[in-house]
Amino acid sequence: MKSAVRKSVYAGIAGLSLAGTVAGCAPSATESAPAESSGSSAAGTSAPTTSAEASSPAGGGSGYKDGTYSADGNYVSPNGTETVGVQLTLASGKVTDVQITQHPSNPNTRKFQGEFAGGIADQVVGRNIDELNVSKVAGSSLTSGGFNQALEQIKSEAQ
Amino acid sequence: MPHAGWDDFQFDGIGTRWEIATPLQLEPSLQAALLRLVERFDADWSRFRDDSPVTALAREPGRHEFPAEAGPLGLLYRSLYDVTGGAMTPLIGGSLERLGYGAGYSLQPSGPPLPAPAWDEALKWTGSTVTTKAPVVLDIGAAGKGVLVDLLATELEAAGVSTFIIDASGDLLVRGPEAVPVALEHPYNTTQAIGMLSLTGGALCASAANRRAWGDGLHHVLDGKTGRPVRTAVATWTLAETAMLADALATALFFVPGPELQQSFEFSWLTVFSDGSAAYSSEFEGTLFT
Repeated sequence: MKSAVRKSVYAGIAGLSLAGTVAGCAPSATESAPAESSGSSAAGTSAPTTSAEASSPAGGGSGYKDGTYSADGNYVSPNGTETVGVQLTLASGKVTDVQITQHPSNPNTRKFQGEFAGGIADQVVGRNIDELNVSKVAGSSLTSGGFNQALEQIKSEAQ
Repeated sequence: MPHAGWDDFQFDGIGTRWEIATPLQLEPSLQAALLRLVERFDADWSRFRDDSPVTALAREPGRHEFPAEAGPLGLLYRSLYDVTGGAMTPLIGGSLERLGYGAGYSLQPSGPPLPAPAWDEALKWTGSTVTTKAPVVLDIGAAGKGVLVDLLATELEAAGVSTFIIDASGDLLVRGPEAVPVALEHPYNTTQAIGMLSLTGGALCASAANRRAWGDGLHHVLDGKTGRPVRTAVATWTLAETAMLADALATALFFVPGPELQQSFEFSWLTVFSDGSAAYSSEFEGTLFT
């Protein structure tokens, strides 16, 4: 199956500026979080990545101590077992920051370079799945399992 | 998400959610047979089960006759091992355990990263017979889900069901005349798709790096040879005749560019990179939104 060399398909800029895309990380992280993380405002935050000891008890009676917590969760993907690092900052019983980190051993982080014989797009463009007439979604939304697993660990440590 | 008007048989297996959609509801006896197959597959191949032959081979070297699916699986893994220069290997299990992803789920590394042993020094995989020369931890994670999809399809067809969609949490196999509209999930936003295609007869599998933002922090890491930010694959899709092949190649695309893999395998591919760009083979032409 040798596909003919296609001329580049330039899709144009999708409005994803650098600043916009960096901030875009946060919603994708928080959307995986369970309901307890109400009040999260991770978008565009630049919380320290170093871990802080739990400092003061939460005032709201939530049972969680303030502080920054880190944990890893793992999940089975088509790549095998992968891991996701989750760092939560709790203040007054609420999640005020979420940072997702990628495990350095993940083979997917390997540098990928090469020449392409097929078509290319400058920038992919997202559309809401709700607005599409589809029966199925092909993707790899498996991170939530690992995320939730790490979150459970954080919850138990924060109590 | 159900296919309009079809029945959905849902269950959990090998750590993921499954949906088998059919025009008519499957007989309870067939449903039971499918679940037994999932359990059988897990018992044979899981490295997390104390009673599996994989666990036995991790304790001491030996010889084990795996079920028939081991034949094509072994051949595929060997091809991928060669094509990726050893990066894709079924002997990666020990490396995963070293990093804390073993049966105990310690999540704590027990030492420095451990490279997988060289295939020819540790493993002989002939047909469905696996012989090991040292204690090794087999891990078929890169293709295992696809293999099970194909096994379930075979079971369905043997029972006279010729039209169905198997959805293994985003890895799909379609049989029958029906064209199934499928969205390609946005790698960083599960409520969005980056494209759509119509799947008729064949497998569509996806693989993704952990969900992050475009750029992955790499906008500041420039490649001196090009002056551009380094670029990594963050999401891949593959179309192939079998789910085993599509599943494995979706992973292989993280190691080897699509055009190179096309020299060895019959498949189509789409790779999305960390800078938001995409490259694809001809069959994915026109599937991306613009």
